[in-house]
Amino acid sequence: MNSVWARLTQEQCRQLHNASLEILERTGVRLFNDEALALVREAGAKVTDGNRVRFPARLVDQALSTAPKSVTLHDRMGRPVMPLEGANTFFGPGSDCLNIIDHRTGERRRPVLQDVVEATRVCDALKEMSFVMSMFLPADVPQDIADRYQFQAMLHNTIKPIVFVTYETAGCVDAIAMAEAVAGGADALRERPFVACYINVTTGLLHNADALEKLLFLAGAGLPALYIPVVSGGTTGPVTMAGGLALSNAGVLVGLVISQLKREGAPVVIPGFGGDALDLRTMVDPYCGPDPRGMAQALAHFYQLPMFSLGGASESKLVDQQASIEAALDMLINALCGGHIMHDCGYLESGLTGSLTQLAICNEVVSWIRHACQPVEISAETLALDVIDQVGPDGQFLKLPHTRRHMRERWYPILFDRDNYNGWLAKGGGRTLAERAAEQVSQILASHQCEPLGPAVAEAVRRIVLRAEAQLGREPLAPASGGSYA
Amino acid sequence: MHEEQFNAMRQSIVDGAPEHASELASKALELGIAPLEAINKGFVPGLTHIGEQFRLGEVFLPDLVMAGEAMKAAVAVLEPEMQKRGTQREILGKVVLGTVKGDIHEIGKTLVSTLLSASGFQVFDLGVDVPVERFAEKAREVQADIVGVSALLTTTMQGQKSVVEALDRHGLRPKVKVIVGGAPVTRDWAEKIGADGYGQDAMAAVAIARSLLHK
Ligand code: B12
Repeated sequence: MNSVWARLTQEQCRQLHNASLEILERTGVRLFNDEALALVREAGAKVTDGNRVRFPARLVDQALSTAPKSVTLHDRMGRPVMPLEGANTFFGPGSDCLNIIDHRTGERRRPVLQDVVEATRVCDALKEMSFVMSMFLPADVPQDIADRYQFQAMLHNTIKPIVFVTYETAGCVDAIAMAEAVAGGADALRERPFVACYINVTTGLLHNADALEKLLFLAGAGLPALYIPVVSGGTTGPVTMAGGLALSNAGVLVGLVISQLKREGAPVVIPGFGGDALDLRTMVDPYCGPDPRGMAQALAHFYQLPMFSLGGASESKLVDQQASIEAALDMLINALCGGHIMHDCGYLESGLTGSLTQLAICNEVVSWIRHACQPVEISAETLALDVIDQVGPDGQFLKLPHTRRHMRERWYPILFDRDNYNGWLAKGGGRTLAERAAEQVSQILASHQCEPLGPAVAEAVRRIVLRAEAQLGREPLAPASGGSYA
Repeated sequence: MHEEQFNAMRQSIVDGAPEHASELASKALELGIAPLEAINKGFVPGLTHIGEQFRLGEVFLPDLVMAGEAMKAAVAVLEPEMQKRGTQREILGKVVLGTVKGDIHEIGKTLVSTLLSASGFQVFDLGVDVPVERFAEKAREVQADIVGVSALLTTTMQGQKSVVEALDRHGLRPKVKVIVGGAPVTRDWAEKIGADGYGQDAMAAVAIARSLLHK
């Protein structure tokens, strides 16, 4: 992308920032973690009522001056693939769907670990999916440590950066231990992080124990944390977009302050979404309503901080027209606004259902968006004045080397149909987009395999999963063997 | 008789205007309208109307909630007179509600709480991350009719089962009914853990709570 479309002016960003500062000084927040309380108290925040904290603006200024302006996620091979800064945008799936629409049968069912494996492999293969999350919550592993199995499955099946979710801090610690085993130690992981933890926070004003613990753990280790307070307009915050965003952003600033107090320069990724509201007619939490799009991105650009944004979700229950349209509009607008890590491709039913077919469609849309937003080269070669002059009014361009040299720069679809009518019937049997996308998924699964983990590393990872099992006093399940992922 | 008065009462509920509703209730008593008649002919039709409108998507949740608040305000005014006359106002029941231990999702639970309360239940909202025993203790303390347990995670869903077991242990069941809900929760799960009811959303929660108490 060239540049970003700013939904808010600089002045409006300043207003929102000042509003968040006022919330922090006047209203204050609650922190449910002793270490965080001690850190902010020592730094000069006012603590009353045990855990109610009011922050002076200077603590925020200080944190904003030390938080890194850019964070680069690497792949499993240690290559820098996602520089989170400026107008760079990267798309990927969402996490933890409770249902899957099986691309083979169209059936909506509970996902199993094999679905996590397959989703990861599909993301690994799809060119425009830049990172991986565990799209599904597997029902066939012990639920309280499902996060360990998800993480193990992702390590085995992709080399792309992994954005992960865990329930408790112990799960986060285990995930980092596994990632260190893969990277070759704590220093290697810090220097070339290929995983990042997505932390949800109750609201801008309530910071739950797990969220703070994870933040402190990751900041201490110098690893990227995505610290994301969520405000649902009309219920946990004002229904107006400005108020909702000011409130969640107050929570974002709290996360920044705490992380920087723990370790100056610790990498934090802030939300590139906010100001959303509950659907007050159906009571469903929508993922892709149009109203607040671009506001949080503008604010993150104002702070010049890396952000975790949204793109590619739909509220539809099926892979249908609504799903395509919502996902496409959402991805386009969020890309134009310059979101960095854009998650939730393949999400349906407000994050409760996921579909690999939908994911493949999203991939196609992203490739379209990339071409539509690419900087345009104007040069002697692309203006082609000599070629035009050579051909003149009476010739044509089909046989020119210039044409063959550049023709493949244009966007060509993989899934979208551009055949003539008979070609569409003959080649594809007159199929719909969703049918073609499902076939693409099947083809990937039949052919694509990423570079496997080395046996020693796989074993080290497996031991961490087994340890989590043992800590619960249970016999390990079969999937803990690295071999089942091959 | 009193048609205009009844219309105004109905409208005060539709408008979600508690103060206006209680004024109209006082006025009704002055005019000699029987309190039960005021409720049934004046205020209830307003609530019924707004409920229908909500189902149709014509009004929003806060409209519905405020209609419930207006209803409560009117009933509060009429109540002493009803007691004097020995006519009973319909008390729907007491509900202890919370999001279970380990789970901080509060939005759905709070909507259930708000709508139950707006529908005339007395709700004791324990908040989020509520220890299993706390549900049982509170149920005993307030002599609850229903315990509602919300869980948004497949992990914390297990806690719903523990609440059922705790209520059993305390000898509170089957008198105290258990209803469960939250994104991963299904009717099958509710049956499996021996809960008495499941609701996919807050409207369903109210319906199931009513039906369990035959109200
Ligand atoms: C908002 C949200 C959050 C917010 C909650 C904010 C708050 N203050 O409540 C935040 C950001 C904090 C959050 C945190 C987490 N979340 Co969350 N969250 C959601 C989300 C997007 C919406 C939930 C919501 O509020 N919906 C709107 C309300 C109105 O609906 P509802 O809760 O379903 O309630 C309705 C019905 O279910 C029913 N109901 C609810 N309770 C009851 C009770 C009874 C008795 C009855 C009858 C009915 C009933 O009536 C309600 C009203 O109609 C869901 C996805 C989804 N679409 O559900 C994920 C989701 C539930 N979260 C998920 C996850 C993974 C998490 C985290 C673990 C992530 C993390 N590691 O940081 C943490 C958990 C922390 C914890 N220990 O609890 C997953 C769950 C997967 C799983 N494992 O089961 C989901 C499904 C999203 C996803 N696909 O990843 N989350």
